Amino acid sequence: MKARCQPLLGTFVEIAIEQENCQNAMDQAYEAIQQVQDLMSFHDSLSELNQINQNAHLHPIEIHPWTAQIFKMAQDIYQHSNGLFNCGIGHRLVEAGLLPRQLDLSQYPLGGIQDIHFLGSSVIYATKPVCLDLGGIAKGFAVDKAVEVLMQNGTLSGCVNAGGDLRVFGHTPRVIQIRHPKSPGKLIDIGTLQNGAIATSALYFANRDRKHSHIVNPLALDTNDIHVNFEESYSIVANECVYADALTKVLALSKRQDHPCFDYFNAQAITIAA
Amino acid sequence: MNWKPHTFALAGLAMISTPITAQAKIYVSIEQAQKILFPNQPLTKAPIVITDDLQDKLRAASSIRHPFQGERIWKTANGGWLIVDEVVGKHEMITYAVGISPNGSIAGIEILEYVESYGYEVAEAQWRKQFTGKTAKDPIKLNQDIQNIGGATLSCKHLTDGVKRVSVLYELALKEK
Repeated sequence: MKARCQPLLGTFVEIAIEQENCQNAMDQAYEAIQQVQDLMSFHDSLSELNQINQNAHLHPIEIHPWTAQIFKMAQDIYQHSNGLFNCGIGHRLVEAGLLPRQLDLSQYPLGGIQDIHFLGSSVIYATKPVCLDLGGIAKGFAVDKAVEVLMQNGTLSGCVNAGGDLRVFGHTPRVIQIRHPKSPGKLIDIGTLQNGAIATSALYFANRDRKHSHIVNPLALDTNDIHVNFEESYSIVANECVYADALTKVLALSKRQDHPCFDYFNAQAITIAA
Repeated sequence: MNWKPHTFALAGLAMISTPITAQAKIYVSIEQAQKILFPNQPLTKAPIVITDDLQDKLRAASSIRHPFQGERIWKTANGGWLIVDEVVGKHEMITYAVGISPNGSIAGIEILEYVESYGYEVAEAQWRKQFTGKTAKDPIKLNQDIQNIGGATLSCKHLTDGVKRVSVLYELALKEK
């Protein structure tokens, strides 16, 4: 087993694979994650995401195929969660001091992911100004891209873990542990996973660091309901990490283990009480 | 997907018969980090003396309080640098390597070790003391298996401060060498 770890996507991204002599595959997997970061970071004012937030309501923009892919996935999840998952919440996180202010959109009514329209496979425009943040989905997407690259390079079995959102691939079932929501230094052995992904939403680190909850309810009507606080830990097991990552928000907001969109995306919910 | 959950996980209960404490992860050695960051380039050790003045500047630029140790610095024949440093936070200790290209840009960052000291019972200075001052010849012997730990996202902000400190070190002390 060979394992490496690099700081990317605002967290620690660990890649562990079973073979030796695999530095090239690992390097390329990290490059894929770096590319997701360069395209989709809200923190980087030059990212494609920030160009979209600045200009997509002014004129059509040609975007990278990966950005087009994640937008389509985000729209699909938006639709099947009845709007509970929406990337159009960047301004909420800016207002709470959780994301940097990249542009002033305060004078406009902002739209969401549903206001992004495709003119062809990778040209988009927005019917309203948007402040999209992919923080609730991009880590999972990056994990999937890294797994794809590893498999394309002949890696048979391994695990990619972006700070707690992880995907395992290959013939080996792996023991998965998740942090106890009340005492995150302790781990709970929750089962074994083979060829699948798990992601978790919880607020123990946000609470520890005395930050606002980053779980935002896009459907909140009252300002007091925008940032949702909870003590549980919400995990989703799915085939791909992008769905696991995004659907944890649907679980944390709906608190429904049996939300219909989990079936639709072949996902299973795990709630750990504090 | 083949998912075999324990029954308590499906029931949504946080039953822990034997709690496992999050532990240290050891990823790569300094030698492996050198090969990752500067493949096929021989590195020579180039330690520097960190004067009080430089130490103060590094502290001011990065808000990291523990002193920088100048002995873990290497250079390539064409002006690249590799620096190994630690960030010792309240919740974690991270040993990392930064590669700096001959043009001064960061070529890569590789984590060597991540020791989680989360939890109020182990975050005490006494506990942390056992890790500070360790060198490559003296690896921390803890669980070397990489566990698959899911959970809320860990922030790498402290490490970002550490990389800032290394960049400042380069600007002030290594660039002109």
